[in-house]
Amino acid sequence: MPVPVHHIVALPPPFDAPPYPADIFAGQVVLVTGGGSGMGLAMAKAFAQGGADVAVMGRSLDRAQEGAAQIAALGARTHAMSCDVRLPAAVAAAFDEAEEALGPIGLLANNAGANFPVLAEDISPNAWNAVTRIAIDGTFLCSTEYARRRIAAGKGGAIVNNSAQYIWTGFPGDAHSAAAKTAQATMTKKLAADWAPHGIRVNAIAAGFFPHEGSVSARREEGVEPLQNMIPAGRTGSIWEFGWLSAMTCTPLFGAMTGQVIVQDGGESLRRSLIMPDYVPPRERADGPWGWK
Amino acid sequence: MTGWLAGKRVRIEGDSPAIAKAFAAAGATLADGEADIWVHVAPPPATRPAHELSHAEWRASLDAGLDRRFLGARDFAAACRARGEGGVVLFVGAPEQALGADQAAAAGALGNLTKTLGVEWARDGIRVNTILTREIGDTLGHLAAYLASDYAAYVTGAVMGIAHGD
Repeated sequence: MPVPVHHIVALPPPFDAPPYPADIFAGQVVLVTGGGSGMGLAMAKAFAQGGADVAVMGRSLDRAQEGAAQIAALGARTHAMSCDVRLPAAVAAAFDEAEEALGPIGLLANNAGANFPVLAEDISPNAWNAVTRIAIDGTFLCSTEYARRRIAAGKGGAIVNNSAQYIWTGFPGDAHSAAAKTAQATMTKKLAADWAPHGIRVNAIAAGFFPHEGSVSARREEGVEPLQNMIPAGRTGSIWEFGWLSAMTCTPLFGAMTGQVIVQDGGESLRRSLIMPDYVPPRERADGPWGWK
Repeated sequence: MTGWLAGKRVRIEGDSPAIAKAFAAAGATLADGEADIWVHVAPPPATRPAHELSHAEWRASLDAGLDRRFLGARDFAAACRARGEGGVVLFVGAPEQALGADQAAAAGALGNLTKTLGVEWARDGIRVNTILTREIGDTLGHLAAYLASDYAAYVTGAVMGIAHGD
């Protein structure tokens, strides 16, 4: 059902009007994990709009290179590389490679993740390990690699993690990601405490629904248009406003912010009522575990 | 920040020099009457053990930290609806556990009120968010201005702090 015409829908400024000056990250290098596509690419573009150079890390070198080309078109120096963030030695090697190409990594965006709707009883050990360890171990390994380098250099820094709006409620039909995304948010607060004495800030965005080419929703026959009305804000998110808020937490404008998990979901996670439609278990939903209809 | 709030009228109730400064820097104009943005800053109550709080002191904290905020937000939202325009409500105060039991009650109530009003008024184009923090400096001002701007158009019903441990 479309959003009724008498409803008012708040909209963000267009992509070419970022909230900060074009030199706010000038001279800094940001490493974005999973930065070749989707939400990671949106983060990377937002940093590039503020003048950062961008190291794009992905499982697939091809995809990282495709993303890097889009980021370079914004005027940033870029370096694309392949890395499995679950492997400590691979993470350290990727940081070495990025710093060799672009200079010291001054900012870190942890976005790498995988997600797909599946019933809990159908999650294979491999699928469970992939989804949880990319987000949980990957965020830990990349963050600690980053922090050790910053601390050794006597410099502060900022990390932003891509978490999700369902971290407080559970996500029936997506148990692996429900666990993984909450771990990212809770470790955000503890990492912030651990590294506050070193001037390294750590924050997270609990992101709502930001459709992009790689998202599961984009593969629906009807596209995302019919989904706008299910969200209190009256629309799904524009991916660049997610990128901007992520990058904003790393700017000096928010220089005192650390240990925060900011929900950006148009009210999606809050829409409950005491009287709601009949409960349908994920395995009985006509269109799969996420049950959009 | 230039342009974040260009053309927007803000009514700030309560005292926060950092927020006033940031809103001016972001291009907003201060308004006493009709406004596009309503910011309510509650003064932090004195910290006392609960058994030493009189009911009058308790009530004063809840009045300032909760009741006045709800009633003010309701009036603001009604005025926005009457004009057929969206708006922004932003509550600012101390963290839940930073002071006394009066603050814990008021801030906890305010947090869930924020989540409720954010959804209840979402299709009026009225966003409702809360900052609960000990921080009073520039980041508070900048964050408040950002949340009030269209850059945060997809942020509503959010409760956040600033410093670690807020």
